[in-house]
Amino acid sequence: MRSYLPGVVFVLQMLASAATPAAAADMTVRVVDAGGRPVADVVVTVRPGGPDGAAVPRDAPPRTAILDQRNLAFEPRVLVVATGTQVSFPNSDSVSHQVYSFSAAKKFQLPLYKGAPHAPVSFDRPGLVVLGCNIHDQMVGYVVVTDAPYFGKTDSAGEFRISGMPAGPVRVSIWSPYIADPPAALDRNVQVIDGGPAQVRMSLTRPLRAEPEPRPGRAAWEY
Amino acid sequence: MRFLLLLSALVACSVASSAVAQDRLDVDGLVDVRWVHATGDLSYLDGGIGVLRFDPDHDGLRLGRAMLATRLRVSDTISVHAVLDAYGDHNGNVADLSELWADVRPFPTGPIRWRARVGAFYAPVSLENRGPGWSDVYTITPSAINTWLGEEFRTIGAEIEGRWLGADSGYGGDLALTAAVYGWNDAAGSLLAERGFAMTDRPAPLFGGLGMPSAGTFHEIDQRPGYYAGLDWHHHGWLDVRALRYDNRADPAASSTEGGTAWSTSYTSAGVRMEPGTRWTLIAQGLSGDTLTSPGPGEGGRFQMTFRGMYALASFEQVHDRLTIRYDHFSEHQAAGGYYGPPSTGNGHGYTLGWTHSLGEHWELAAEWIRLTSTFPPRIEYDLPPGFIESQVQLAVRYRFQLRT
Repeated sequence: MRSYLPGVVFVLQMLASAATPAAAADMTVRVVDAGGRPVADVVVTVRPGGPDGAAVPRDAPPRTAILDQRNLAFEPRVLVVATGTQVSFPNSDSVSHQVYSFSAAKKFQLPLYKGAPHAPVSFDRPGLVVLGCNIHDQMVGYVVVTDAPYFGKTDSAGEFRISGMPAGPVRVSIWSPYIADPPAALDRNVQVIDGGPAQVRMSLTRPLRAEPEPRPGRAAWEY
Repeated sequence: MRFLLLLSALVACSVASSAVAQDRLDVDGLVDVRWVHATGDLSYLDGGIGVLRFDPDHDGLRLGRAMLATRLRVSDTISVHAVLDAYGDHNGNVADLSELWADVRPFPTGPIRWRARVGAFYAPVSLENRGPGWSDVYTITPSAINTWLGEEFRTIGAEIEGRWLGADSGYGGDLALTAAVYGWNDAAGSLLAERGFAMTDRPAPLFGGLGMPSAGTFHEIDQRPGYYAGLDWHHHGWLDVRALRYDNRADPAASSTEGGTAWSTSYTSAGVRMEPGTRWTLIAQGLSGDTLTSPGPGEGGRFQMTFRGMYALASFEQVHDRLTIRYDHFSEHQAAGGYYGPPSTGNGHGYTLGWTHSLGEHWELAAEWIRLTSTFPPRIEYDLPPGFIESQVQLAVRYRFQLRT
């Protein structure tokens, strides 16, 4: 029988520097799959203050973002933005798209278009917004809207780095539509100690879901 | 039917200009010219009973297909689709429509997205014919069962689809249930009874008929609508499962001057297409059904046939090239009646090897070899042995173009 032990193992290594005390630390979150291979494009959010703590203000993140459409796919497929961000949805394909979402965090529709005729969409509530194209059902995209002060996506090395983290408890969360581990296992508390750096290694236990490979040549007409 | 379709065409033309002006017209065009070498007997398309498209008397340099597929976005939720075809061999019309339909697709406001189609279009059955104009993207010639579905069937009516979109629930796929009512399919089954399964890339146009003598294909004989119901399941972008139950609900005792006798035809089709990664495609599809006509009294005026067919296909693509192999098997069994003399009980095996090579945005080379071994006793009436082997080699040069305004 398959084990349902917690899906993510945290290894927090704090390398304190007693000689040069500091008020903040650098943090690296690294996500690997069950085989130890890095997992890219995973959304990472970090909230100082522990599980119920309030977000700590920091420098205002960018409030505009672009989510393009190329080769009958959203690009990037997963976007993470701060609450209140204005997101543009240009269409770089030669065919028209019709973008919509009926997610609770943001319901909207962009009537049929090419290029960039529509005004940016304001994502003013935190949550997961699933995007679709009413013409091409295979197009699925995600906007993660967060009020966490620290957020981003892992790079090709599976890493997301934060500098200047205040010391104290933080809650680290990861998400990707291709992660199959239980949601509860993707959300943990760790302690940041002054002077870091801190490295958080998150090991997934279940195989990743297959990421759809766009094959635009055979999807433009429906039969 | 002609009146309804011509009316639809007028509506389509009337909105075309505004659609162009509003940047909402998509056009895909194809010209396919090929060199063919065929063995076997005279094709049924030329008045014989051979079951490939070409034969030794009709090979050499041929027009494979000239096609225009257009899609007009009339509004944000309504589009009109039309496919115009010319084949250069025995068209009742030099150019003819093979599809003309309107698509109504409101924005989804929840996980179920509704869609309706009205007009003349292909039912969602084939897992091969997914290119513009219902073209086969894997081989020049589709499988035996999809050949037949292109020859004798067209949904001329209305279809509604409810599709559950799984992404918002964290599922990487969707599931659609589809139902349709239609008319003008009452002659479907007659070609299969007369000839058995075939393998051609020669679907019937809406108006011009198929083969020689060129007779219309789509007739409403008994004024009773048919139906189909099906499902389509997409799973994580690499798996597509389709199933469909079709029944034209024709009155087998009905007949008309124009359409001949009605054939009560039903079938069930199921298939799966897998696309693991970016290079491989694996398809398996099967179909089983029966057809019945009884225009005359007693057993002598009754004919009933059961049939089944399947194919398995593997295709590998890399950059500019695609290589495909396919195996077809089919059988027909005359279950009742002696309407056509020799029993229509036969079977066949088809082996297809296809290759395509892209030469850039517009040009493509395609090659295909088919070997078809089949037995069908009614060939005796043509002074032919019931069983024989046919083969066909095709080398095609294709020019494609797109217009996206």
